[in-house]
Amino acid sequence: MAVNLEYTPAEPLPPPRSEIGAIGWARANLFSAWYNGVLTVVAALVSILVLWFGLKWVFIAADWTVVVELGGRFILGQYNTEAACPGQNCFWRPQVSLLLVTALLGMAWGTSGNPMARTIALLVGGVAAALAFLPYRLETMGLDVRLLLLANLPALAAGWALARYTSLITLGRVVMLGVAVFVITLALLRGLPGVPGLMPVSVIHWGGLMLNLLLAVAGITLSLPIGIGLALGRRSRLPVLKILCVVFIEVFRGVPLITLLFMSKVLVPLAFPDNFPQEPLFLAGVVITLFSAAYMAENIRGGLQALHPGQAEAARALGLPGWQTTLLISLPQAIRNVIPAIVGQFIALFKDTSLVYIIAMQDLVNIGKVFIQGNTEYLDHARELFIFVAVVFWIFTYGMSWVSDRIERNLGVGER
Amino acid sequence: MITQPPRALTYQGIPVWRHAQIIQWAAQIVSATVAVALVLWLFANIGNAIQEREIPYGFSFLSREYQTPIGEHFIPYESSDTFLYAFTVAVTNTVVVSVIGVILATLLGIFIGVARLSTNWIVAKLAMVYIDFFRNVPLLVQLLFWFYIMLALPPPREGYVIGGQLYVNNAGISLPWASATGLAPALVWTLLAVAAVVAGALIHRRLTRREIRTGQASYPLLAGCAAALLIGVVSWLVVSAATGEAPFLASSPEPQGRFGRLTGGYTVRAGLLVLLIGLVMYTASFIAEIVRAGIQSVGRGQIEAARALGLSQLNTLRQVTFPQALRVIIPPLISQCLNLTKNSSLGAVVGYTDLTNVAITMTQTAPAVSIFILIMVAYLAISLTWSLVGNLYNWRIGTSSR
Repeated sequence: MAVNLEYTPAEPLPPPRSEIGAIGWARANLFSAWYNGVLTVVAALVSILVLWFGLKWVFIAADWTVVVELGGRFILGQYNTEAACPGQNCFWRPQVSLLLVTALLGMAWGTSGNPMARTIALLVGGVAAALAFLPYRLETMGLDVRLLLLANLPALAAGWALARYTSLITLGRVVMLGVAVFVITLALLRGLPGVPGLMPVSVIHWGGLMLNLLLAVAGITLSLPIGIGLALGRRSRLPVLKILCVVFIEVFRGVPLITLLFMSKVLVPLAFPDNFPQEPLFLAGVVITLFSAAYMAENIRGGLQALHPGQAEAARALGLPGWQTTLLISLPQAIRNVIPAIVGQFIALFKDTSLVYIIAMQDLVNIGKVFIQGNTEYLDHARELFIFVAVVFWIFTYGMSWVSDRIERNLGVGER
Repeated sequence: MITQPPRALTYQGIPVWRHAQIIQWAAQIVSATVAVALVLWLFANIGNAIQEREIPYGFSFLSREYQTPIGEHFIPYESSDTFLYAFTVAVTNTVVVSVIGVILATLLGIFIGVARLSTNWIVAKLAMVYIDFFRNVPLLVQLLFWFYIMLALPPPREGYVIGGQLYVNNAGISLPWASATGLAPALVWTLLAVAAVVAGALIHRRLTRREIRTGQASYPLLAGCAAALLIGVVSWLVVSAATGEAPFLASSPEPQGRFGRLTGGYTVRAGLLVLLIGLVMYTASFIAEIVRAGIQSVGRGQIEAARALGLSQLNTLRQVTFPQALRVIIPPLISQCLNLTKNSSLGAVVGYTDLTNVAITMTQTAPAVSIFILIMVAYLAISLTWSLVGNLYNWRIGTSSR
């Protein structure tokens, strides 16, 4: 008699209802113990109250007229006022440089096909175009301004198409074009004497978000190479070079930026001959860059120190000369390891551009501050103003940390 | 027949322009010369400018009268005091705000950093929102926001009174405080109180050791606190009996006069309050991230082992995770302390007379170059002290736990 001894397991039961789905999730993440339950209830109550009163304030109690009143000055400062360029309209100059930037972003997206580049390009172009539909009256915000803003979308598309369907644009050329766009922007904003329509505009009148962005871009691009140089100098075996770098780094790290900015205004006219450029914008750019470079140097030095000495030794053993060992082996690995710290420094630099108020420059923050001081009827609505400014800053800084996260993930930091 | 070897085969040594040591020395000499020349040139320019424009220079101004009021001061100050003393007052202001700020920011930062890692989803998300917002907005904007919030509060006459003791208005917060009846008894009792705390801590340590060694329950915390309290109370009674009155009396803020100015108690003035709120909330978001990274750096096995031994979640954090995380946390924490100290230079925006604020005012009546050197020395001294304290602590926990 044959007995079938083969074992057929029963169909496994599904997990109990209390362990899966929304209930299971809540049990695991909100009510895993009695104190967690209490915490959840308290935290939920607090967040509901904050949200309720916060939203009520934002949509009902808050009076945002102060933000509406300042409007374009947030973006351009005093740039397009009668005092800045008498007798002509200067609004188109920053707008043309914005067009160039969006076109450039379009090219970057087109050549790399990178989803991150796509997001950034579409976001910048979209926001710029959306600004055209701000509900101002036509006298305050003319049709020409709106059309130039709308033109950002075709510019973006043109840049993308140029990169996608021709072989003119490579990644290296995008970088070169980026430098060119920055120079053109400066020339456009500053103006050229003698050229009709390009009347010089004193840098005193530059302001708003434009000023913060200009200082940040210049500072970021220059402080990284200077910081790398300082870090290498500090680790150098040559005592003189080392001492010079250490003194530079420690002096700039030891004193608050606002003190350095103020002192640059006082001391530079004394220490440099009169023909040395002494415009506040230039000084602010130099001081912020050097200050940031000192911090950058320490970040990169950290990365270099964390590197296993075997890397450099292997490179030397393969016959690479010293400078190639540094440039091709040590630095790339060191920088890859400290990307979060470097981006953190970039974000700090962007936030620090708000400190130019000490040398009377009208950046995004100072515009608001001066406006409130000059128009005391808005004193009670300073809150709205600074919340708006905070949100603008937050969008940029949060965007930067998002990009850093993505880069880090793409490079596989921490996985090797 | 002797033939000359061909020229190409003779070894002629490394050519000068490729000789590593020569190049290095040349580079050093060149860079040193350039640096020295640059510094000399700058100083020569400053010297010329000083002579041409007849700008005062040197440090002789330090003994002159400053003749400018300083809004907030923690040591007695009058306008007739010297520049040197005024500068010292400004330095104490910065030190006070940075010490209080660092303590509060560290506590808040640890709390938020731990909350960020909580297994409770909603708590972790709240901490994340806090960190992401406060870390990414410039301190200047935050300070201006708090400043105008403070300004929008009612004036002292119509201010809020909480429980009849706590006064909140646009001049600051006034709260009940102890006021000393005389210098000597107050000082004696304070010293005795410090001694009591030290004694309590010593007893706590001894009993803890005994508990660990013998396994006998010795209640170290209870005994330590009781001892400290006992010594404190007894010395209070002794000092009171010896001088005829208590060393400290409670003093409550009282509105006075037409404008309701508050006298008595202690008033945290608006400038200091706003600066502290701004600095603490901003720096805490950075410290929270440092704490999070530190805790995450401790191996999972450590936590699992602690849980397996039966330690509660709180005890695991307090006795296993945190002590190990501290080693990772301390170095960046020190640099955050330095940042807080340097960021307090934004006091000028909210009307707090910190070092930078006073120094900038001083440049109107004193040579700027000298002031700048003084500022640098002062900040350097404060920074070095912070580094020293932090590194000493780091060294202590580093050696005791390994």
